[in-house]
Amino acid sequence: MSKLISEPVKAHIDHDSMLAAFIWRRRLYRVVEVYSWWWEPSEWWHGKAARFFIRVSALNSSEGIYELYRLGEQWFLSKVLD
Amino acid sequence: MSFIHLHVHSPYSFLDGASSIDRLLEKAQALKMPALALTDHNRLTGVIRFYEKAKACGIKPIIGAEVDVEDGQHLTLLCKDRQGYSNLCRLLTEAHLSNRSGQPHATRETLCQFRYGLITLSGCRMGAIPSLVSRGKYEEAVRAACFYRDVYGDDFFIELINHPSQESLSDSYYLAQFARQQKLPVVATNNVHYAEMNDYAIKELLNAIDQNIPVSRLQGHRAVEQYLKSSEEMAGLFRDIPEALANTENIASQCNLELELGKPCFPKFTLLEGETEYSYLSKLAYQGAQRKYGSLPPRVKQRLEYELDTINKLGFCGYFLAVWDIVRWVRERGIRCQARGSAVDSLVVYVLNISIVDPVEHDLLFERFMHPLRHEPPDIDLDVDRRRRDEVRDYIRGKYGTENVACVATINTYMARGAIRDVGKALQMPQEIIEEACNGIHWLSASQLLEYVDSRPELKKSKIYKRPELADFFKLCAAIDGFPKHLSVHLGGLLIGDGRLSDLVPLEWSSGGDIISQYDKDDIEKLGIVKMDILSLPTMTVIEDTLAGIEKDHSVSIDLDNIPGDDSAAFAMLRDGKTVGTFQLESPAQREMAGRLLPEQFEDIIVSISLVRPGPLKSNMDKLYLPRRHGKEPVTYLHPKLKPALGETLGVILYQEQVLKVAHDLAGMSYAEADGFRRAMTHDRTDEEMEKMRESFITSCQQNGMSRKIAEEVFEQLAAFAAYGFCKAHAVAYAVLAYQTLWLKCHYPAEFFAAVLSNQPMGYYPPRVLVDEAKRSGVRVLPPDINYSHDRYAVEDGAIRISLRQLKGMSDEALDSILSARAQGRFTSLRDFILRTNVSWPIIESLARVGAFESLGSREEVCSQLPRLSTLKRSASRGIRSLFVEVCADSGTVPKIVDNTATERMLIERELLSLNLSAHPMDILPTGNGITRMKDLRSVATGDTVHIAGSVIRYQTPPTRNGHRVLYVIMEDGTGIADVTVFSDVQEKCGQVLFREGWLIVEGKVQRRGPKALSIVAERLAPIYTKQSV
Repeated sequence: MSKLISEPVKAHIDHDSMLAAFIWRRRLYRVVEVYSWWWEPSEWWHGKAARFFIRVSALNSSEGIYELYRLGEQWFLSKVLD
Repeated sequence: MSFIHLHVHSPYSFLDGASSIDRLLEKAQALKMPALALTDHNRLTGVIRFYEKAKACGIKPIIGAEVDVEDGQHLTLLCKDRQGYSNLCRLLTEAHLSNRSGQPHATRETLCQFRYGLITLSGCRMGAIPSLVSRGKYEEAVRAACFYRDVYGDDFFIELINHPSQESLSDSYYLAQFARQQKLPVVATNNVHYAEMNDYAIKELLNAIDQNIPVSRLQGHRAVEQYLKSSEEMAGLFRDIPEALANTENIASQCNLELELGKPCFPKFTLLEGETEYSYLSKLAYQGAQRKYGSLPPRVKQRLEYELDTINKLGFCGYFLAVWDIVRWVRERGIRCQARGSAVDSLVVYVLNISIVDPVEHDLLFERFMHPLRHEPPDIDLDVDRRRRDEVRDYIRGKYGTENVACVATINTYMARGAIRDVGKALQMPQEIIEEACNGIHWLSASQLLEYVDSRPELKKSKIYKRPELADFFKLCAAIDGFPKHLSVHLGGLLIGDGRLSDLVPLEWSSGGDIISQYDKDDIEKLGIVKMDILSLPTMTVIEDTLAGIEKDHSVSIDLDNIPGDDSAAFAMLRDGKTVGTFQLESPAQREMAGRLLPEQFEDIIVSISLVRPGPLKSNMDKLYLPRRHGKEPVTYLHPKLKPALGETLGVILYQEQVLKVAHDLAGMSYAEADGFRRAMTHDRTDEEMEKMRESFITSCQQNGMSRKIAEEVFEQLAAFAAYGFCKAHAVAYAVLAYQTLWLKCHYPAEFFAAVLSNQPMGYYPPRVLVDEAKRSGVRVLPPDINYSHDRYAVEDGAIRISLRQLKGMSDEALDSILSARAQGRFTSLRDFILRTNVSWPIIESLARVGAFESLGSREEVCSQLPRLSTLKRSASRGIRSLFVEVCADSGTVPKIVDNTATERMLIERELLSLNLSAHPMDILPTGNGITRMKDLRSVATGDTVHIAGSVIRYQTPPTRNGHRVLYVIMEDGTGIADVTVFSDVQEKCGQVLFREGWLIVEGKVQRRGPKALSIVAERLAPIYTKQSV
């Protein structure tokens, strides 16, 4: 099961340009493991670039799986997965 | 561990692969991949070039295809060996040929029948097993897996494609689990459709074009991940299933197909017992030679023996016999036919009656055609009467078996206009933008469009190519530049296999219903399959029709092989440039050459045909030859030994055969070596190779007593001209036809023009220009008439009667109806016509408007009856024949039919017949004074400024020596044709009208490049409606 969120988050990027942590609803989530990353197609005919997605395990009070994407410089939390 | 991509699409998947084979291989090379597969969708069209290129860059090519099976499911097949390749070819052939109107697909039976030598992967998400597993249809998936395992055994693999989105991951996870449970081996692929991720947009664009929908409405799975990923990326995606990665290498190691490229395989010729191919060919050749020469002169006998011996040693006797047999059959049926090209250099070809040109008489060299050092099969091209070409094809099919004969395919690719139209449609661009973008383009590829947008005047002057909002659009057009769209039938190529063709090449249906190869002619040649070029030449049909017309009208039977070769009237016509309609001599460049060369004999036509080619003109051969021809410059030779080779062309190298003779006479090369020398100089070579050739040639010349200095000069001349000289044999063959058409036009213009007009489209000029030319040749042209016109142009009391088929919208059914009703008796009235024919009302109206009922009454009279009779027509169509119905006028449904002013009449004729019959627009258009009609140009002094006006027949941009584009505009005004030269400064000034305008006013200076070669050098051009601007 997953829950659609689609809310902007503040991301912290590490030296390898990977997502190290993000703040969502004022709470910090530290990335424990990157499961996978990929790109998804966009409406390129309207000039939109492909979206970069990342699926991570992140730790707040407990560990969870989160799917985030980046649009330009802004990161969004796409889904929370069970 | 190395990962090998085993599922890769190129543009030869036709609108589903977004990176060229070169780009895919470059990327694979950059990723240090030892092997790469090509698995295009239902076809192998790209595999020969892929195979060669991959080998050249050190990558092992794996040949395969993604094949549709029943229910549109996909399966990936890879060839292990030669047997696998043959089976894949046959499987694809079966998949295509058994589904003529629908999507090709292989049945289960076909898969079983052609299973050996193939490794099979379960396919992408559209494969049977992946799609069943993904939909949870486990039992059905098990049954499908059992089927494939039974068919392919250990050579069947579950194909895992792992795109790291949630959907793909879960599909892949369940599929891997299924494979484990079924104990089926797995293999990782990435279903590659492009080299780099960013190209996914191109793939989607192509898919939208293919489906004829806007790209925004593309349905189904979208992905950006189908790019050529590195081993590391693939390892990351399959870290939990390492065997899927390892199996890519295992499979690649089992795929060891070696294609035998370049080895010719000829069909067997059936012989009587006791005969060999050589003995039979020799017998036929000697019999033929005796018929041609009587008792054989020693040099003919010697040459014949030499040629036969060479043909035998090279193993080509069967091929010559096959061509002889076809031509024999063709001639027995009275089908006009002759050889073209370098084959005409051969005496054997001549004595077998394949060619009509005597190579001994014309001093042609066999080695230009074939010799022991040339490792290519000979190519005998035949021109046949267009109308009867299918009979020839059917004979070959009957002789060699339907399975062994197919047409060669041509791969149609995107140029700029096509790309703009298709991309524009997929992106839902406004039609007016698409049209404007297309209008200024003249023979450009889409990538050249971006390259030339700032330099070509017609592009520079148009703002559309620089609109920032369209920049991405033009980039997308350039991205698909040169991509294949579909296959079509090559004009003449027929394949004859030594056995079943589909063992070597997959076959499919063309849109016109011919069976064609999936390979084009170049790839076919590499595979060594015999290709016969049997080309439909409309000129042959014109000659046949003209002769038949002459026989009918004049009761004269003409033997064209024996007409006088020095007919003064025909040559005078040629010198005056009155050659519109003739073969090879009608183009503006040829007409101008005739005015410069002033031909007097048959050999001059050979020279003219050889000179007016891009190469010779680019290398200024004309400027060397013509002054010598007219005695303005002395005929000199660098060395007396050159005279035998170059004497016929006054010391200038015009023909490729002469290069061979010079190398033979001066450097002592054999003719075979000399041809190798010519070819080496013609093709791309390094400076080092050129220097080696140069030194070797000069040393050999010195050994033969020539000074180094002269030898160097001769070499420089050869080097300059070798690439540009024309094959004399081909020129002679064409000169024969050219002269025949010239002679026919000169002495029987009515029959000749009727034949040319009946066989459109052909030649250089549209019917309206041909009709004008016929009138200028003194032939009356009669309008179409329902009581006199036929389905073809016909000669009537010395005049040409326009064909009913010329009428816009005329259908075969209507034409049949008119002609069969008329066979019962002429039409007596419009009412009679309506009642006795089954012709639609719009056609009847059109016939009335162009005056086709004038044998029944005046145009106005007939047109005035139309409203009254329209009801009769409707009733007649319903089978009602009331005595009273025709008096019930129903004028409300009938448009205004005719306005009888001269202008209206002319406009109607142009609209409905595309001809200028009663008048030419230039007779009526208010262009004012000061316009010189084209017929009067000859009386204008050289250098004088004139204004001419007329319609554009054609724009031409031939290559030039300095690379600067010179534009030729061919125009007509009803009184004649004018050739306008537009140099780059004027192109700059008038770029906005180039290629866009159909009617022009030109201001320019009269130029004469020869005694009768007149053209206009443009100084300004303007659309005709703004004469004031000029």
